[in-house]
Amino acid sequence: MNRLKKINLLAKQAWVNTIHRRGTKGLILLVNLLLFFSLTVGYLNLSQHQNLVHGFGGEVRDKWENSPDKHPHRMAHYGYLVFREKFPLAFFDFGMDSYLGNVIFLEAHKQNTVNFSEANLSNGLLRFGEISAGMILQVLIPLLVFFWGFDLISRDREQGTLKILFAQGVQGPELIWGRALGLYLLNLSTVVLPFILGFILLFLHGEQDLLGQSVAHYLIMVLGYLVYFLVLCLVAVWVSGVSKSSKAALTTLIGCWLLFTLLIPKVSQVIGQTWYPTPSKIEFDSSVEQELILHGDSHNPNDPHYAALKDSLLRVHGVDSVQQLPFNYSGFVMREGERLSTETYLSHQRALVELFKQQQKIIRNAAWIDPFLAIKNLSMGMSGTDYDMYLHFQDQAEAYRYLLAQTMNELQIDLIGNRIKNSSDPSAQLSKEYWEKFPDFHQAFLPTAAVIKNQFYSILILALWLTLFSCLVWAFSNRIKAF
Amino acid sequence: MIYLIVKNFFRSKAHGIGLVLLLIAGLISLEIGSRFLKKTEQVSVKTAQYQQESILRNVSYFDKEMGTLMYYLKFGLENKVPNLAALSIGQRDIFPTVQSVTVRNLEEQRFSTDLTNPLYQLLGNMDFSFVLIYFFPLVIISFGFNLISEEKEGGTWSLVRSQAGSPMSFLRYKMGIRVISVLAVLLVLLLVAKFYLNIPMNQHFLAFILVSVCYVLFWFALTWLVVSFQKNSSTNAQTLLICWVFLNLILPAGINVFQRWLFPIPEAMTTVIQNREGYHAQWDKPKEPTLEKFYARYPQYASFVHPKELDFSWLWYFAMQQLGDEEAASEVTELKSKLRQRLDLSKKVSWLIPTVHTQLTLNSVGLSDQGNYLNYLTALEEFHEELKHYFFPKIFQDSPVREEEWSKFTLRVFQDEYAVSWLKTLAPFVIFMLAFLLWATTNFKTARLN
Repeated sequence: MNRLKKINLLAKQAWVNTIHRRGTKGLILLVNLLLFFSLTVGYLNLSQHQNLVHGFGGEVRDKWENSPDKHPHRMAHYGYLVFREKFPLAFFDFGMDSYLGNVIFLEAHKQNTVNFSEANLSNGLLRFGEISAGMILQVLIPLLVFFWGFDLISRDREQGTLKILFAQGVQGPELIWGRALGLYLLNLSTVVLPFILGFILLFLHGEQDLLGQSVAHYLIMVLGYLVYFLVLCLVAVWVSGVSKSSKAALTTLIGCWLLFTLLIPKVSQVIGQTWYPTPSKIEFDSSVEQELILHGDSHNPNDPHYAALKDSLLRVHGVDSVQQLPFNYSGFVMREGERLSTETYLSHQRALVELFKQQQKIIRNAAWIDPFLAIKNLSMGMSGTDYDMYLHFQDQAEAYRYLLAQTMNELQIDLIGNRIKNSSDPSAQLSKEYWEKFPDFHQAFLPTAAVIKNQFYSILILALWLTLFSCLVWAFSNRIKAF
Repeated sequence: MIYLIVKNFFRSKAHGIGLVLLLIAGLISLEIGSRFLKKTEQVSVKTAQYQQESILRNVSYFDKEMGTLMYYLKFGLENKVPNLAALSIGQRDIFPTVQSVTVRNLEEQRFSTDLTNPLYQLLGNMDFSFVLIYFFPLVIISFGFNLISEEKEGGTWSLVRSQAGSPMSFLRYKMGIRVISVLAVLLVLLLVAKFYLNIPMNQHFLAFILVSVCYVLFWFALTWLVVSFQKNSSTNAQTLLICWVFLNLILPAGINVFQRWLFPIPEAMTTVIQNREGYHAQWDKPKEPTLEKFYARYPQYASFVHPKELDFSWLWYFAMQQLGDEEAASEVTELKSKLRQRLDLSKKVSWLIPTVHTQLTLNSVGLSDQGNYLNYLTALEEFHEELKHYFFPKIFQDSPVREEEWSKFTLRVFQDEYAVSWLKTLAPFVIFMLAFLLWATTNFKTARLN
């Protein structure tokens, strides 16, 4: 009998034995139902969110375009509201979506926070986590696999059938691979239909422009899960093989599960917070404010910090007062002010993001010893519910804010006279055509290449775990004792 | 016999390890709690300091006109963190502890968020409530799942039946030593917490202790019930672990997603839209209606008038700001009532799910739940009103900036109250425990201990 045939037979045996055990079919059905439920609810939530966001986005645009004739700087303060859209795969793995803000008010001079995350609107229940397909696949399936797999070899030993198997010429690696594949088959029976449902839901999604990208992400993610599951099956069967008894195997596996899903993530979080403490909002604002004050107040045309600028402008244009300048002086000053304040803010913001990234790096490094974290990162990344995707949104919102403020400043510089009293002066008002000309905000998502680049580590780690356990199986499985 | 049962219990290495692990995890969680307290304390101290600095700095820059100055000045209201919150951090890492507001419109300011790492929020804190809710039951399960079956499977059950006075009282003692040892660890941890975190002994802490004890007893009662069916060890272990997974993972997480779908809160977004329209649209409208609305809301300022010949006055400016809040008022009310609905739903559901009940109650007594946040929002509204009433007359009559005693504007503290309803707090546990114990007793009676 060749090797593959033996593995095949052993796999079949594991499958048949487990499937006929009481409760197994029920469990398979239950997990399928749970996954169907969470995929559907996730999908409905996503559609609801997208509809809301598009509706509000349209409303904001309408109001912007239909704003009456006015001074451009008032328009800059009227500002824009931007609502965060979700990537079409967000229904699959909620990731950190619930902790990310959904709406941001963009105005001149000031960077507001992105507010109203789901967590802001939730009570303590959120701390128990959210049930999404991703959560079930990452947390619950391993537990199930360990339950099904803990005695796949140890029971044979306890019943004395392992001796018979070895006597019949089965070798250690064949035994482990055979049983692991049988277990894998059971595992797949819980996820294949939901994976297909998830795939179909992608095509039902209202916005089809991202279909190609989301299908690609989906396939990579599913592949990641399949590798993750195979690792789990190998771990379960291997532990079953090397443990003294079934009970010991179960205890070890449940210990691993606790370690992987609860302890390592929490502990690395604590380490990260200790090593890289982040400033509070008030500290952050205060340090930005302190630096900004050095740049002077751009709203005040007589500000001493802008006096030098004024003098040089007057000299260059050969005039002796700002009223004689060929362009709007206060617009010019504000453009300069916006540039400086944005630079200041961004330098602080970048430092902060860098700090967050350092903190997250600890989690990423912890993934080397915890495949759960690796698949979690990969799944979030592919679903577009991770920090990188969010940062991409934040950057776009800030860039749009800057564009808006500076466009309004340019309009003021070019089109508003120098002799107007203030922004209420009718001669200082621009027609609303200018508002229509200013483009709407369109959120773009990170392209696949960038996402893969961010998730390269997660993919590598999963691949390494698979290789490692494949090697372990070959190297150590001959030590499996028959009794 | 009791002595022998105790001796037997402590001779098992697994029991010692279980208790020590609980102790270590608990101590780590206390350290995390202590760091959390230090951090919030720091925020409060620094905010107070920055507020003073910022006020003085702005006063030195904008000392010509009260209106201009008040455009910039920010005043903080701290949501006081009781030390007990260190044991159950709850939503405290999501909502900022201090919110600073100007006298401009409130809606634009009050929902601004803290700087937080969303990945860390997702992973959550390992506070004491987490150790209690997730880890204690696991140890309890591992202590109790084979209470009878280990004797049967080890072949000692017949000895017990022939030698012990009554097998039932043998089991009770055996369970008793487990209950006492776990409770001892729990109480030691709470005792350490009391002194290490300097928690005052009041009804909140008392409720915290009682709920923790009840939660531990609940899991023992459940274990007792499962054991009473007299199945083999692995069936018991699996049944109990499935209970754990359902109570700690599937049910709460499912309800969470479900309630979000049931009570969507678009108001969070419409509030922002309404507020922005309410304020900014006023710039281009005639000034009289804006002022009329302002006088209608605050008749006491009717004596201040906007000089017709002027295009701008601070009176008109703050009247516009006020309209921003008023336009959003109905949305905000709706938003708050939706939040209450969600809170009520989860409180109702928690009667059926002791894990959720425990978490929510511990958060409530630690003033770290959403109820506290809603109270804080109201307090912030009152604080903002108070600031307005203090400064509006000074702005409108342009009192000299230098005459104000600015040093008195220190950080204000909001102290939330929470009255423990003992019945609601403890009844769910009592009901569950009684039901489990009765059921177990009938099981033991009908099945006989054989």
